[in-house]
Amino acid sequence: MAYAVEMLGITKYFPGVVANDSVDLKVKEGEIHALVGENGAGKSTLMNALYGLFQPDEGTIKINGEKVVMQSSNDAIQRGIGMVHQKFKLIPSFTIVENICLGSEPRKNKYFIDKKEEYKSVVEISDKYGLKIDPSSKIRDCAVGIRQRVEILKTLYRKANILILDEPTSVLTPQETDELFKVIRNLVNKGKTVIFITHKLREVMEISDTVTVLRKGKLTGFKPTSETNENEIARMMVGRDVLLRVDKKAIESEQKPILEIEDLVSTDNRGLVALNQISFEVKPGEILGIAGVQGNGQSELIETITGLRKIERGIIKIRSKKINRFSPKSIRETGISHIPEDRIERGLNLDATIEENLIVTSHDKKPFSSMGIFDFNKIEEFSEQLINEYDIRTSNSKNKAESLSGGNMQKIVVAREIEEDPDLLIAAQPTRGVDIGSIEFIHKKIIEARDQGKAVLLVSTELDEIMSLSDRIIVMYEGEIVKIIPGGIADEEELGLLMAGIVPDTLQSKMRREAK
Amino acid sequence: MLSKFIDIAIIQGTIRMATPIMLAAMGAMVTGLSGIINIGLEGMMLLGAFFAVVGSYYFGSVWLGVAVALLSGLIMALLFAIFTMKFRAHIILIGITINAFALAITVYFLRDWFNVAGAFSDNAIVGFNTVKIPIIKSIPILGDILSGYTPIVYLSWLIIISMHIILYKTPLGRHLRAVGENAEASETLGIKVKGIKYLAVILSGIFSSLAGAYLSLGQLTMFTENMSANRGFLGLAANIFGMGTPIGGALASLIFGFADSLAMRLQGWETIPSQIVLMIPSALPILILLIFSVRKKKELKNFKEENISKLLSGK
Ligand SMILES: Nc1ncnc2c1ncn2[C@@H]1O[C@H](COP(=O)(O)OP(=O)(O)OP(=O)(O)O)[C@@H](O)[C@H]1O
Ligand SMILES: [Mg+2]
Repeated sequence: MAYAVEMLGITKYFPGVVANDSVDLKVKEGEIHALVGENGAGKSTLMNALYGLFQPDEGTIKINGEKVVMQSSNDAIQRGIGMVHQKFKLIPSFTIVENICLGSEPRKNKYFIDKKEEYKSVVEISDKYGLKIDPSSKIRDCAVGIRQRVEILKTLYRKANILILDEPTSVLTPQETDELFKVIRNLVNKGKTVIFITHKLREVMEISDTVTVLRKGKLTGFKPTSETNENEIARMMVGRDVLLRVDKKAIESEQKPILEIEDLVSTDNRGLVALNQISFEVKPGEILGIAGVQGNGQSELIETITGLRKIERGIIKIRSKKINRFSPKSIRETGISHIPEDRIERGLNLDATIEENLIVTSHDKKPFSSMGIFDFNKIEEFSEQLINEYDIRTSNSKNKAESLSGGNMQKIVVAREIEEDPDLLIAAQPTRGVDIGSIEFIHKKIIEARDQGKAVLLVSTELDEIMSLSDRIIVMYEGEIVKIIPGGIADEEELGLLMAGIVPDTLQSKMRREAK
Repeated sequence: MLSKFIDIAIIQGTIRMATPIMLAAMGAMVTGLSGIINIGLEGMMLLGAFFAVVGSYYFGSVWLGVAVALLSGLIMALLFAIFTMKFRAHIILIGITINAFALAITVYFLRDWFNVAGAFSDNAIVGFNTVKIPIIKSIPILGDILSGYTPIVYLSWLIIISMHIILYKTPLGRHLRAVGENAEASETLGIKVKGIKYLAVILSGIFSSLAGAYLSLGQLTMFTENMSANRGFLGLAANIFGMGTPIGGALASLIFGFADSLAMRLQGWETIPSQIVLMIPSALPILILLIFSVRKKKELKNFKEENISKLLSGK
């Protein structure tokens, strides 16, 4: 079968790094091609070159057998290439239709937008490919899953035949991922070719026909998916065997809890009840996992604890001290640190340097400053140490955070918050967008914190993560706690049911047995 | 009692005083929507006022006066665009520079070219006549409200309506709004971001120099030092309260115009302390807009936050 895309000997230099080092990528027409590799391996760079965002320093690109040089993404669009970026490129105040048609509006009377026509064609495409949307709602009111659909529709509206999806699943819940996979299969059935970047090897096995692996800018693997397995791919990615399971020893904790929450009530941005009488506690040396489908109050829960959201009723205590009315800064000073779920929105300043981002939560304290004056040597020393330890791939600690790959941005936030040495670590989606090697490392760090007697509150939509790390699990549904269960007792299916608000009988009897 | 304050003359005064602010607001709007904060509107207006008088004086034609004013606006706008976009100078600093430059250079030219200080008036300067619109002028009340202004007033109405149509009904307008909200996204969709920003800045230069010409050839037939008297900044404020829409900006400008007009009326009244009267042009709009913003709190908050962060980053 013919190749839809051939990228041959692609090399791309950035100041201080070779992001792609003579990489080949061959994608057959009508297949689902997975592109995997560690953070900073050069996946996004390779795809940006294919999408014409910049030209590679060396190498050739062929589309459907024809050699092409693409000066801009316009050229790529002309040749039927569409890309959904890691960071969405949407206009929040515009409607879905306006976003999809932006830049290629149908016209009437030459100068005016034909609003009827554009609405009609959007509805047509969304029906044809089964991407359900409400055409006139504004992007700012749409959930991530919907925004992603809009991005896919944008490429289809421009008649893309080759779709590049850059880490589409890292922002999705498992349910949304299933939906997306249906869409991708549907697209391929209708003759499209899909290139798909992911860090989740399970997804590679589940959906792809062929897999290409990059490591540190070089090609390290290219195989039909049916002829390989998760372990082999992991080895090609990382260069060593990866432990996909975590070991941890049991801890018995009879001490007083660090975090206590009683009858907490709060509302979401629209003023609706998001948390309804939540009560629980986290003890030292314990990882408490919060599971639930996104949008069932987890985000609001974290925001109330960290002082970012108003509490309507109830009490939050840290080491028996009430912190209801504390500012976010004074809450941090009681010994809480927080890995926010959205690294770009809340965790980083992309315009600032990596160093600045690493010290921003304690820049006003020793050793980074004394009497209001920075000690730049100390700051640099500290940053270098974290960059090494957390394997943040960058050529210089004074680069802007913006220049990092998505996963390396996440590592900055994780490094900073864990190194704060908190009594309570709140970790929301701590491994979102990071590669398997780094997941292993971050998990090890979280368990280390727990073993040192710290309390950890872990929020994740990854069931694997919750199940392998948590000592106890809280399942939330529609702003309420469905059940608090000991870790390791429930299987994936039972957790799934709990997340839908149903307490399965099998679990009840298991828990009774455990209690004896 | 109320009819003593609000009569046809007050309404006419409101429209007259609001016109330059409206034009500045349209300039603030196009640049603001494309993601640029142009505080140089003030200086561009002042230069426009000066060069309108110069053109009219030398060529003996009011429209050639306007043409010279627009040319000065175009040049300042191009300078603004080149310095901020090509040489990446801080947008606010360039705005301040333009304002300071305009103030100084007009004072200097007054001395150097016309040998006067403070103000320049001459019989050779041709000013605008008022336009009496046929048919409409004979409708009672409405005729008095709509008819009898200088041409730039009508031109400004035309600009507001066209801006509304362009922004919401044409691809160009949609692209302009998209560029201001997410330039990167617009770029990847093949929208010419730079081109649109240049266009926006040029339009703002034209609108504000037109406002200047209105001051020196429409309202008066002379140029005085610092004639723009902060109307450029009022236009920026009107645009913020109008939340970046042409109609909103125009209405907010009318509020400023009304306060001005009311203050002028009350100047003759001895029963009201003059300090109070002097307060009206600034205090009344604040009061009215405050009430308005409490009601539209959330939308306005989003809009202001975006603008303030743009202001600070100077991009
Ligand atoms: N604009 C840029 N300027 C400088 N360096 C860059 C730039 N963009 C990427 N890099 C560097 O190029 C390398 C490859 O980055 P790329 O974004 O392609 O990685 P990736 O494989 O997509 O990683 P991730 O899985 O974390 O998204 C990284 O070392 C990154 O720091
Ligand atoms: Mg990437």
